[in-house]
Amino acid sequence: MSLTSAPPALAAVTAPRPGCIGDRVLRNEDGRFLAGHGEYLADLDVPGTREIAFLRSPVAHARIRAIAIPEGAEGRVFLLKDLGDIHPVRAVLTSPGFRGSDYPALAADTVRFVGEPIAICLGATRAEAEDLAQEIVVDFDELPPVVEIEQALDPASPSLHGWPDNICFVSTPGGGDLDAAAKAAAVTVSREFRMARQCVVSLEGRGVMAWWDRRLQELVVYSSTQQPHVIRTVLAKLIGVPEHQLRVVAPDVGGGFGVKNNLQQEEVAIAALARRLKFPIRWTEDRREHLIASPQAREHRVRLTAHADAQGRILGLEAEAVVNAGAYSIWPWSAAMEANMVAGILTGPYAIEAYRGRGVTVVSNKAPLGPYRGVGRPSACFTLERLVDEIARAVGREPHAVRIDNMVRPEQMPYRTVTGKLFDSGDYAESVRQAAAMIDVPAVRARQTRENGKGPRFIGLGFASYTEQTAHGTDEWIARGLTEVFGYETATVRFTPDGKLIIEAAIQNHGQGLETTLAQVAAEELGVDPADVVVRHGDTAVSPYGMGTFASRSMVMAGGAVGRASRQLAEKVKRIAAHLLQVKPDEVTLAGNCAVAGARSVPLKSVTDAAFLHPENLPAGEEPCLDETTTFQPLSGTGAFAYATHAVVVAVDTGTGLVEILEYAVAHDCGTMVNPMIVEGQVQGGVAQGIGNALLEESPYDSGGQPLASTFADYLVPGAPEVPTVRIAHLETPSPFTAYGIKGMGEGGAIAAPAAILNAVNDALRPLGVELNETPITPKRILTALHDARTERAR
Amino acid sequence: MKVSFTLNGEAITADVEPRTSLADLVRGEHRCTSVHLGCEHGVCGACTVLIDGKIARSCITLAVALDGTAVTTLEGFEGDALMDRLREAFRAHHGLQCGYCTPGMLITAHDLIRRKGALSEAALRQGLAGNICRCTGYAGIVAAVAAAMDEHGDTARAAAIAAE
Ligand code: FES
Ligand code: FES
Repeated sequence: MSLTSAPPALAAVTAPRPGCIGDRVLRNEDGRFLAGHGEYLADLDVPGTREIAFLRSPVAHARIRAIAIPEGAEGRVFLLKDLGDIHPVRAVLTSPGFRGSDYPALAADTVRFVGEPIAICLGATRAEAEDLAQEIVVDFDELPPVVEIEQALDPASPSLHGWPDNICFVSTPGGGDLDAAAKAAAVTVSREFRMARQCVVSLEGRGVMAWWDRRLQELVVYSSTQQPHVIRTVLAKLIGVPEHQLRVVAPDVGGGFGVKNNLQQEEVAIAALARRLKFPIRWTEDRREHLIASPQAREHRVRLTAHADAQGRILGLEAEAVVNAGAYSIWPWSAAMEANMVAGILTGPYAIEAYRGRGVTVVSNKAPLGPYRGVGRPSACFTLERLVDEIARAVGREPHAVRIDNMVRPEQMPYRTVTGKLFDSGDYAESVRQAAAMIDVPAVRARQTRENGKGPRFIGLGFASYTEQTAHGTDEWIARGLTEVFGYETATVRFTPDGKLIIEAAIQNHGQGLETTLAQVAAEELGVDPADVVVRHGDTAVSPYGMGTFASRSMVMAGGAVGRASRQLAEKVKRIAAHLLQVKPDEVTLAGNCAVAGARSVPLKSVTDAAFLHPENLPAGEEPCLDETTTFQPLSGTGAFAYATHAVVVAVDTGTGLVEILEYAVAHDCGTMVNPMIVEGQVQGGVAQGIGNALLEESPYDSGGQPLASTFADYLVPGAPEVPTVRIAHLETPSPFTAYGIKGMGEGGAIAAPAAILNAVNDALRPLGVELNETPITPKRILTALHDARTERAR
Repeated sequence: MKVSFTLNGEAITADVEPRTSLADLVRGEHRCTSVHLGCEHGVCGACTVLIDGKIARSCITLAVALDGTAVTTLEGFEGDALMDRLREAFRAHHGLQCGYCTPGMLITAHDLIRRKGALSEAALRQGLAGNICRCTGYAGIVAAVAAAMDEHGDTARAAAIAAE
C-alpha cells in the first residue's frame, strides 16, 4: 500500500453542528450572483482595452502558403512571428512510447483542425476586430484530412505529425490470468460501443485578458480558468517571463467542467502579445468558437468481452478502447488522457481478478480533446454497465442482482484493483440495493407487463454503478506519466485584527460552492460563523501556490488544507484565550465566535485584538499575529473513491423515437458530506449533463473535417423539460485516507447517466429486437434501429 | 445612428452602429453587466431583459430598433418585491451554481409568475425551456420558482380577499 505512516489527524465528523461540516449552509457567494454582480471576464472594465478576434482556420488540414494582411492594419494584426521568442506547447507523458507533438500558440506553417488560431486581430470592439479578421487572406495548400477513428487507425492515412502513423500512445493495463478465466467461463459476451464526440459547453465561454503593469513590472493575465497557479507556471516557461513577474487571476468563472482546466493556446498567444503592447487586450470566446475550437470531449470506440460464470459473476474482462483525440496534445493532460483513463478504470466497482486492457490514442484533424466532467469514466461506465446487462440476460437474472454479486465487498476494503487503484471504503452493493428500492423494481416490471406492447410507448428500467476516483494524489499522477504532479493543495487561514477570518486558497470556485464549504471547515475548527468568512481564491497574488479545481479534488484537498491550517490556528487562539481567561489551553473550546472555558468566555475579537494590536497581552513567548499556511495530501496517492448506483425508468416512443425520463434515482456515497445541499446540487447537475451525453449531445464532422454543430440550434443541451428532479439517497462511509473522511464527488452524476439511460432504453426495446450501443441515442438512431429490426424480422 | 429609450427608468440617448445589439450597448457604456452572453444567437436566454415589460433576448435585438421603448435589466429590479422573493428562493433552493444563467432565469421566472400566476410543474418547466443552465440540472431552479409562485399566488389571493 502506498500509504504514508501518519494517521489522518482530522477525524470524520459524526454529529454536525450548525454552520460546520455536515450542515446545509446556504451559500455565501449567492448574493452577488443574484444581484447580477458576478464579475466574469467580459465584465472587467479596464480603460483602453482593445478587443480580440482570432482569425481561425476554415479548413481541417492544410499548409499555409502565405498570409496577406490588409494595408493599414499594422499594429492591429499579429501572427506567430510577432509574438517574440516563445515556445510551442508540448504536452507529453513521461510514459515510454508516448509520441509528442508541437502545438504552436498560433499556426504558422500548418493547420490541423477547423478553428485553429492563426492570427490575433484587434479592434475597439469585437465587431471591429472581426471585420479586420475577415480582410485577411490566407493562401492554403489543402491536405487530405484524417477525420474518423477508422481513418486514423489506417496506416495508409496521411500522418499528422510526421510519425510513422497516427497512433499517439497505447497503454496496456491489466493483470491476472485471463486465459484461465475464459476457460472457466459459462458465458462469454462481447460488444462494440461508441460514445460520440461532445463539446463541453460552459455557459460562459473561455476568455483571456492581459496587460503589462508598469508599476509592479509584471504581466497580468486574467483568464476564465480553473487553475491559475499552474497556468502561471507553464506560461512563464513558454513566453519567458519569470513567475514572480507574472500574475494570473481567474475572476468569476461561468462554469468550467474541465474545458477551462487546460493551458489554452489563446492564453499563450495573448500573454505573449500583451507583454509587447502598451494597452490591455481581451478575448471573449463566442459560442461558435466554443463549439468548434474549444477542447472537445469523448469520441470513443470500445470493444469489450466479458467471461462470466453461470451466475453472471465476471471472471475476466478484455477491452480495447480507441479514442480519437483530435489534432494536438493539450497541456498538461496530453492526448492520451482519455484512452488511458478508460482502459485503466474499466473493471468498475467489481472484484474482477483478470483483465487485459488496451487504450489506444489516435490523432486526427479535429479539435483537440480535453477533460470534461467524468474524463473517460462516462465511457468506461457506459461500456461496462451495458455489458453487465447483457451478461445478466445471458444468464437469465435481473441486472441489478448480477451487479450486487460482482461488487467489491466492504470486508475487502481497502481493495487493490487489478489495475492498481486502491478502493478505500464503502458498501458498494448497498448502493444497488438502495437504488433498486427507490425505483421499486417489482412495480416497474409489473408496469412493463401491463403496458409494453399495448401502444407505441415502451417502458424500460436501467441501472448503472461506478466508482469515481477523486482527489488523486501524487502516486496517481506519476503513474499517469504527467510532467507535473498535482499531489497536494494549499491554504492560508488568517484572522484580521477585528476578529474576522479570511481563507486564501489556491483552488478556483466556479459553481462548486467553495466560498461556503471552505468556510464551514474553518467554522468546524475555529467556531466562527461561516457566513462571516471571506474565501479568496483564483488569484496567484492572493494565495500560496496550489493546483486548482479539477478531478473532484477541491473539497478533499483544499478542505484538508483549510482544516489543518485552522486546527493549527485554533491551538494558538486557545493559548491566547487561556491566557486572557486565566485557564489552561486545553480547557478552552471555540464556538459561537468565542473562546469558552466552562462558564467563562472571551470573544474571538479580544483574542485577535491581543494577537495583532496588543502584544503586551500575549502569553510569554507567544508570537504576534494569527495566520497559518498548510498543505494537504491524502494518505493514499490514488485518492478516495466515491461510488453510486443510478436507476432510471424511461418511456420510449417507438413512433417518434423520443425518450422520456420518468424516474431517476441515485444512491451514492461520497464519504463525509460537508454540505449535503451542495452535494445534491452536484449530483443533479451531473445527471443533467449525463442526460445530454445519453440523448442529445454530439459534435459530428463531415468527411472534410468540418464540424457540423456550431450553434445551440445544432448542438443540443438539456433544458428544464428534459431533466427530471433526481431522488437522491446518501450513504456516508468516511474515507480513511482524507481529512474528515471527505471524498470528492463533482463528476459522479455525469458518469453513470449515459449507462443507466441506455440500459433502460435497451430494456424497453428488447421485445422489439433492438439493441443500441452508441451515444447519443437520438430519435433518428432509435427509429433507424427499430426499422432495421423490423426489416430483419421480416426476412 | 441615434436612439433614445429608457434603461432601468433612466432616459438615455445613444449613438450606435446599425449592427450594435442591445446587449452590447447596455453592457458596454451603461455597465449593465447582469446581461450575460451565452450564445449570441437567441437560444440560451442568459441575456434576457424586458422591453416594454415583455421578455426579450437582448443579444438578437438591435439597439436601433428600441427608440421610445423602456428597457429593464436585472439592475432595474431593485425594490421589486417579487424579484426579492425569487432571489431568496433561488438561494434557499440552491437554484444557482456558477451564476451565469441566473439573471436571465430570474427575469424569465418573474415574467412567468406575473403572467401565469400558478402553473403545474410541467408547465413551469416548459416556461423555463428557453433558458439554459449548464450547472444545476434545473431542480433547484424549478423548486425556487415554484416556491415563489405559490407564495405570490397566496399573496395575490390574500390581497383579493382583503379588498373584498
Ligand atoms: S445570449 Fe442571448 S439568447 Fe443566448
Ligand atoms: S448556474 Fe451555471 S449556468 Fe446556471
